[in-house]
Amino acid sequence: MHRRSKALALLLLLPALALFAALTLYPLGRVLALSLFVTDYGFEGATFTGLGNYVELFSHRFFRIATWNTIVFAVLATASEVGIGLTLALLVNGRIPGRRFVIPVIIMPYVLSTMVVTAIWRAWFHYDFGFLNNVLRAAQVPPVEWLFNPDIAMLSLVIVDAWQTAPLTFIILLAGLQVIPREVYEAAEVDGAGPVRIFRSITLPLLAPYLFLAALLRSVDAFKIFDKVFALTGGGPGQATETLSMYVYRLGFKFFDVGLASAASIIMVVVAGVLAAFYAARLLRGSS
Amino acid sequence: MTGGTSAGAWARGAATYLAAVLFLLPIVWMAATSLRPPIEYISPSISLWPSSATLEHYRALMADDVAGKALNSIIVALGATSLSLAAGFPAAYALVRLRFPARLDMAFLVFVLLVKLTPPISLAIPLYQVLRALSLLDTLMGLIIVYQVYTLPFAIWMLLGFVRDVPVEYEEAALVDGASLARRLAWIVVPVMMPGIIATAVFVMILSWNEFAYALLFIQSPSKFTLPTFIATLITEDETFWGKLSAIGFLASLPILLLVGFVQKGLTRGFGGGLK
Repeated sequence: MHRRSKALALLLLLPALALFAALTLYPLGRVLALSLFVTDYGFEGATFTGLGNYVELFSHRFFRIATWNTIVFAVLATASEVGIGLTLALLVNGRIPGRRFVIPVIIMPYVLSTMVVTAIWRAWFHYDFGFLNNVLRAAQVPPVEWLFNPDIAMLSLVIVDAWQTAPLTFIILLAGLQVIPREVYEAAEVDGAGPVRIFRSITLPLLAPYLFLAALLRSVDAFKIFDKVFALTGGGPGQATETLSMYVYRLGFKFFDVGLASAASIIMVVVAGVLAAFYAARLLRGSS
Repeated sequence: MTGGTSAGAWARGAATYLAAVLFLLPIVWMAATSLRPPIEYISPSISLWPSSATLEHYRALMADDVAGKALNSIIVALGATSLSLAAGFPAAYALVRLRFPARLDMAFLVFVLLVKLTPPISLAIPLYQVLRALSLLDTLMGLIIVYQVYTLPFAIWMLLGFVRDVPVEYEEAALVDGASLARRLAWIVVPVMMPGIIATAVFVMILSWNEFAYALLFIQSPSKFTLPTFIATLITEDETFWGKLSAIGFLASLPILLLVGFVQKGLTRGFGGGLK
């Protein structure tokens, strides 16, 4: 059956190939070409500039700030989401009454639309009437400028992202914990190993591939972040939370500097490609 | 890990419930705020439940044609899901079961992965130009097509695992009986895979239902807004439309919150069993 014609295989792949060609290959080629021109829309009336846009980007203060913000956000978000996910997974991976109900409840934020998530947290972060500051005032703690203090806005963004997506790392790590055979723990306990020792020399090493996968998936998504920034802070205050996606959006769709926005897009695609290579290597190693 | 002492087990249970309550709290707040009269927003109270519930926010939404936006969301989610399954299923089947020349299948899979990881905004400018050239800008059809950027790689990737789970022997037996490919797909592969196809459809539908960036960039007429873009206009217009925002947020979330058990099963399957 496997020997049947290769033409048939290609035929079955054709619809997907056609969609990819029209929706990703062609656009990627076009954005690469546009990145070599000074233009406000397409190629008509555009001036060729070679790598000029790339050179200009790197001297652009806002581009450097957006790059830095993206790195800071990706590191903080990934670290806190893996940390929270791991804690939750360790808690739930045992005999707990009502476990059947606890797991879906924890997953709920993950299925919500980012716009719904943002709507809730914009209200919670409100300085005068927001739920968080009401709680702080009730506890006699001075209220916080969650979204308008440039030093705190990035942390607020991380809090929202962690609430929405720590459930994903939780599920990944719980799946990882559940494939560790019970006998391994029992043997260690017979040998007199304490809980800390067991965690360090059994749980962590066996969970390592899952931790890696969770961190990789979260950092890729954190690197792309757009909608939450758009609706929660708009990149502000000032440029305090402007990430690369937000920067590309402003350049391309607000200032119509399509050449420069395309160059920034290409840089993002290259970074995503490097992350994809890591992921592919991991998957290929896993399947062999 | 084992529970340890009963005091330890008790503490673990308490910590778990506390965590679950913290994750649930914002959603409960949203449900309650959708019923809260605006006068109560400015009270410093931290009580979740409104002291006098009202349906005025839901009535205001009806006046804003929320049903029309919901219908747009449904059309786009169903359209994008059907297209992804129609193109993704044959591709996934061929990649698992058939031979490709020159490792084309491997190259294709790596490419799918790259698309999956590419930031959507980096394709936005050329996609805008493609849609404009096809006169599909500001149409739901255009949105259904560009959503394939997200949904098709996702669908193919998820379906691959389900095709692998169909025992080859079933198909070989049918082949001996002289069944054509179309017959084998229709009578064996699709029925055996049905739970997997449904799971994939649910995930792709949630993905399209929640999508925001492309809906923001490629739809201009308010009558064609999907629910997320409609919510975004409310968020940015005025910062204290909380009741209305909560009401629409709650309505938009209800259908997917009902699917949460399903999502849990899908994710656990996807990441469990040795990381496929």
